[in-house]
Amino acid sequence: MNLLKFALKNLIHRKVRTGITILSIGIAIAILFTVMTFNKGYETSLKDQIQKMGIHIMVIPIGCPYEAASLILKGGEIPNYLPQSVLRDITKMDEIEIAAPVLIHGIVKPEEGRTDIYAGIDSSMFKLKNWWRINGNFFQKENDIILGGDASLIELSKTGDQIYLPEYDKVFDVVGVLDQTGTEDDGFFYLSLSTAQQLFGLEQKITGINIRLRNPEMASVVARRLEEIPEVEVITMSELLGTMLSLVGSVRTLILSIVIIIIAISSFSVFNTILMSVFERKREIGIMTATGASRFHIFSLIWLESLLLSFVGGIVGFVIAIVASHGIENIVKRFLPLAPRESVVSLEPEIFMYSLVFIIAIGLVAGFYPAFFASRRRPTETLRGE
Amino acid sequence: MMLVFLIIGSLCVWRFPDRDMKEIFDADAYQTVFVSMSEQQQDEIEKRLGDELDPDETEFKFYPVTKNDEHIGTVSTHLGKGQYGAIEVVVGLVENPESGVASIKAVRIQRDREKAHNALHSSTFLNQFIDLTVENDFIVGEDIQAAEEGAEKSSAAVAFAVKKILIVYEVLMKEE
Repeated sequence: MNLLKFALKNLIHRKVRTGITILSIGIAIAILFTVMTFNKGYETSLKDQIQKMGIHIMVIPIGCPYEAASLILKGGEIPNYLPQSVLRDITKMDEIEIAAPVLIHGIVKPEEGRTDIYAGIDSSMFKLKNWWRINGNFFQKENDIILGGDASLIELSKTGDQIYLPEYDKVFDVVGVLDQTGTEDDGFFYLSLSTAQQLFGLEQKITGINIRLRNPEMASVVARRLEEIPEVEVITMSELLGTMLSLVGSVRTLILSIVIIIIAISSFSVFNTILMSVFERKREIGIMTATGASRFHIFSLIWLESLLLSFVGGIVGFVIAIVASHGIENIVKRFLPLAPRESVVSLEPEIFMYSLVFIIAIGLVAGFYPAFFASRRRPTETLRGE
Repeated sequence: MMLVFLIIGSLCVWRFPDRDMKEIFDADAYQTVFVSMSEQQQDEIEKRLGDELDPDETEFKFYPVTKNDEHIGTVSTHLGKGQYGAIEVVVGLVENPESGVASIKAVRIQRDREKAHNALHSSTFLNQFIDLTVENDFIVGEDIQAAEEGAEKSSAAVAFAVKKILIVYEVLMKEE
């Protein structure tokens, strides 16, 4: 009987203990694998999302850059406003291709457990977001409204319908519905900028200006010039990305720390299972030694058992990850700020390989001492019952 | 896009179960029951409703409510289109212990953006549905008076939701 068969037989002999150990490793590896794939997909998604915006610089009222991140990605409402005159100063700059003002206003509906976000925009926003596809038309009248893809679904409304804003006792004609973009834009109700300003009592005020440059490489130069305008904060998209990644970094570190603790516990479980097995098989190991098995053979056998245990646990973990990755992702998303709405978990071979190496390392480390302990036993000690 | 529209169109959460359960039934607990529908049942529902179901409406959610572990009624919700946006309706049903016929215990509107919001939420309008059964026609202007003048479409959306819930309950839950 070769070593592999022998090791397998030993593990199968203790079904319950082996099963529990495999399951604990499996769960730990599933979480690790999902967190790693999520982490990679998350950063890629964030970069894509910011690139997809076609915005190089944002001008917002002086405040915290996190608010800007919230504004851009989540449609959050900034409590401060810029005077619209800032827009005139900005559009004079030759380096700027498009400057699209936006006024964001939220209407909280605690009775319905939601907030409707209204965005006042002008035609420059459509030029900036040239991937927007509208089923219908742009605003032609004061009481025209365009619905984001999700807003249209929530209100069961399409082009040609009417939407009533009870808070302002005003009926709007739905003149267009945006195709779904997979971004926060989908949840917005869009009004013309002047209508939004009038409706919300914010005449000549805007929440921010999204800027596209003729040459994106000029971003930092233009940003410095924009900063000379009083009472504005200028954020380049590279700064924003950095801010957002650092914002999520601490939460990500916490989650990874928890995962590492889970894996450490699982490794200890492997160690314990194999060591217990060695203690229980002292006599058997002694007989093997007495009948000619070398220390190397004994060491290899025990080490192989540990490796097998971890490896099978890892495979179980991959299966769990494939089946439950989206469930685990949803749990992780609850703890991550600014998490993208879409799934970012992709089961990549590269991460699979890293995880596999990690599993093998667990098996080797956890099994080393029990294997060493077993191989150092003298047959006489064992046979004497020590 | 239209497909997604239809899928989302029929989904409706019960937003305030604790409040509604207490107000409608004075109940202390509820369960969530998912009931699937066969093609035959779908045909029957559509025939009795006089309208087609959304393509994704193959499963419906009901919430049997209990007090002291005794079943005292059932709640169901419906998302439909009103005159100025979506209307979400919550319906409380009770079954006659002898005939087994389900009737309306109460109707609530949990989300809307109708101009006739106050009239639609008024007890004058909503109480008209009490004790109605699947045998009623729910025609606005006949069985049901509109919440107010000009709110015929909104009122009809609520009446349709109530009728649909009764029919679906009759066809699906009574056979369970």
